[in-house]
Amino acid sequence: MTEYVDAGRAVGQASLSGLAGIAPPVVQDVTYERILQARSEPQNWLTYYGTYDGQRYSPLDQINTENVKRLAPAWVFQSGSAGLHAGPSTYSFEAAPIVVDGIMFVSGWDGFVWAIDGRTGQELWRYKHAIPYDTSLCCGNVNRGVAVAKGKVFVVTLNAHVIALDATNGELVWDVTYGDVRAGESATVAPLVVKDMVVVGSSGGEFGVRGHLDAFELDTGRHVWRCYTVPKPGERGSETWPDGPAWTRGGGNCWVTGTFDPELNLMYWGTGNPAPDFDGGIREGDNLYTDSVIAVDPDNGEIRWHYQYNPHDLWDYDSTMEHILFELDGRKLLAHFDKNGYFFVLDRTNGELVRVSPFVDRITWGEIDPNGKVTPKIYPEKEGEEVHFWPGPAGGKEWTHAAYSPRTQLCYVPVQDVGASVTRRRREFKESIPYWGASVTVDSDDMAGSVSAFDPSNGNEVWRWRNDVPMCGSVLATGGDLVFAGEPTGEFNAFDARTGELLWQFQTGCGHHSSPTTYSIDGRQYLAVPLGWGAWVEGFLPGMLGAPHGDALFAFALPQE
Amino acid sequence: MRPMATAEDLSALVSKLGLDKQNKATLGRLIAHGNLGYAEEGADGRMHAQIRIPPDELVWDPAILVLPHGGDLDLEIFNDDQNTHCALFPSNGDSQFIWLPIHSRGTAALNLGGPGYYWYSSPIGNDEGRGLIGAIVVLGDVPQQARLDRPDQPRP
Ligand SMILES: [Cu+2]
Repeated sequence: MTEYVDAGRAVGQASLSGLAGIAPPVVQDVTYERILQARSEPQNWLTYYGTYDGQRYSPLDQINTENVKRLAPAWVFQSGSAGLHAGPSTYSFEAAPIVVDGIMFVSGWDGFVWAIDGRTGQELWRYKHAIPYDTSLCCGNVNRGVAVAKGKVFVVTLNAHVIALDATNGELVWDVTYGDVRAGESATVAPLVVKDMVVVGSSGGEFGVRGHLDAFELDTGRHVWRCYTVPKPGERGSETWPDGPAWTRGGGNCWVTGTFDPELNLMYWGTGNPAPDFDGGIREGDNLYTDSVIAVDPDNGEIRWHYQYNPHDLWDYDSTMEHILFELDGRKLLAHFDKNGYFFVLDRTNGELVRVSPFVDRITWGEIDPNGKVTPKIYPEKEGEEVHFWPGPAGGKEWTHAAYSPRTQLCYVPVQDVGASVTRRRREFKESIPYWGASVTVDSDDMAGSVSAFDPSNGNEVWRWRNDVPMCGSVLATGGDLVFAGEPTGEFNAFDARTGELLWQFQTGCGHHSSPTTYSIDGRQYLAVPLGWGAWVEGFLPGMLGAPHGDALFAFALPQE
Repeated sequence: MRPMATAEDLSALVSKLGLDKQNKATLGRLIAHGNLGYAEEGADGRMHAQIRIPPDELVWDPAILVLPHGGDLDLEIFNDDQNTHCALFPSNGDSQFIWLPIHSRGTAALNLGGPGYYWYSSPIGNDEGRGLIGAIVVLGDVPQQARLDRPDQPRP
């Protein structure tokens, strides 16, 4: 028998790419103290929303209402991927790029993390987590971004690990499993660094799991605490669940990053829908703490107060979306645009309702009066009987984020005006099997969208830029009095923050479903926006299910002379 | 009307129709339709297995490799075929690539993090479309501390 030719040893695929392999040690000095003061270094985007207050506002003002018409692409990063990956038909590029001293850290679908030169777009290093093809994904193969601190990049994986990478070379430092893929748990949230911990939430409410938040030590990955969002019998809030197993499958996942007030030492995390989404008959009661904001003590994971936006949700109105922290007349408040179509302002010291008003035109599911009293009107009540309501399960606004400008004192929100038909179909619970309790068809015509500006001091709409499809990308506000928002049809837009006038537009070739960020290097301001249309399109815009996925990240800047 | 095949006789039927060979009923062979094999665990906790590409079949053998749990896998890869292929395997950190000249032997060290199944393939030419695509199945559960605090639930 002849000897085999020696094929050697398999090598990392990244070594067959043009990447540099190494990034400067910019994250070494990113401390909790620096993240606390993130607004004082506007050249960087240090944490998911830019700052702990969730405003998605940057004071950078080189690009302004006068010169924005000259904005042009500076570079484009393209990823793509070889071979099959999980959720091939539903992957999407949804992350918010983090930038530290000129180096960008961003995550993609299917376990990708990249370090990119923020000036040139060159790939510096790449990490790729191996994701099981058969992971339960209700809403696509997506990841919303990384957190950075103390020399490390933190990211969650679709199979519910939280990992820490060395920020200079992308090598794994620690890897901890915090969710059960066999139970239908997964993870897509951008982690939040608070003090010496990294805090993450779980996904999987659509599979009847029990939602939780977890904190891990930055240095070691040691588990510090877990906070369940559905109480078990005997715990506070358990009286809002019926006797029996409903609480064990209650949902309430925190799959969008929370905000943090260091003075009050409280984090504000939104919680997802109860499970099953639409069949309330088997979970009578308010179903705490689903569809709520929970104010969580970061030191021990205890819930200090809560406010429930949708008691006994029958419409899949997760309330996971951002809670923007702002001050008004010396009062510490938070603003939240809920999927149910209402704009809430709460006192963030105690959860007291300050005001509530609608932010989308068509709301038929029910009504919330100025005192916060919720009156359901249309919901899937009878087995097999179809009902139609607005907003549909994607909500008046999906997970993508609103912004707040301290200069204009306005909130800017991407609005989805789309309804759905829902028929209750009771089903038996089985672990890892989708647990919705209904058949759902989202409207694919007669829909609209807008970027709308709201005054949180009175709940009034100040301006609206109308679109004929829902707006499904996060909004960014800047010190140049600009508001940026991408369209599902690929346009990236800049609006005048005071009037809503469209000042600039660039066709990127793919729908926007991510969170643009801004940064500057050597005095040149850039706007970074990941492009990738996908994920739960059937839920928020089925009329565009046939649009291309895309996998590029654009950086824009003013031309250099 | 023709009877539908049950899972049990599917293999026989696929074989009879020539869907598991090159250039019979189809141009290539159906995806991941090949043998199944198990990885073995060594005393040090590392798992090891061999996979091969037999001559003129364009299939990984086994096409389905079963691991008892997540962890480190040392893979020995043989290309017994009279054509050049390659392999791209999933692994935590980075996918692992190896070039496989005619009649060659190589190795790969993979780390896979838990239950589920993962694809691997030969991403050159249309090797994947012709049949050189396989699955690594990881059995077992996630670590106890990662599981939900709730009573055992019914599974399908
Ligand atoms: Cu939901």
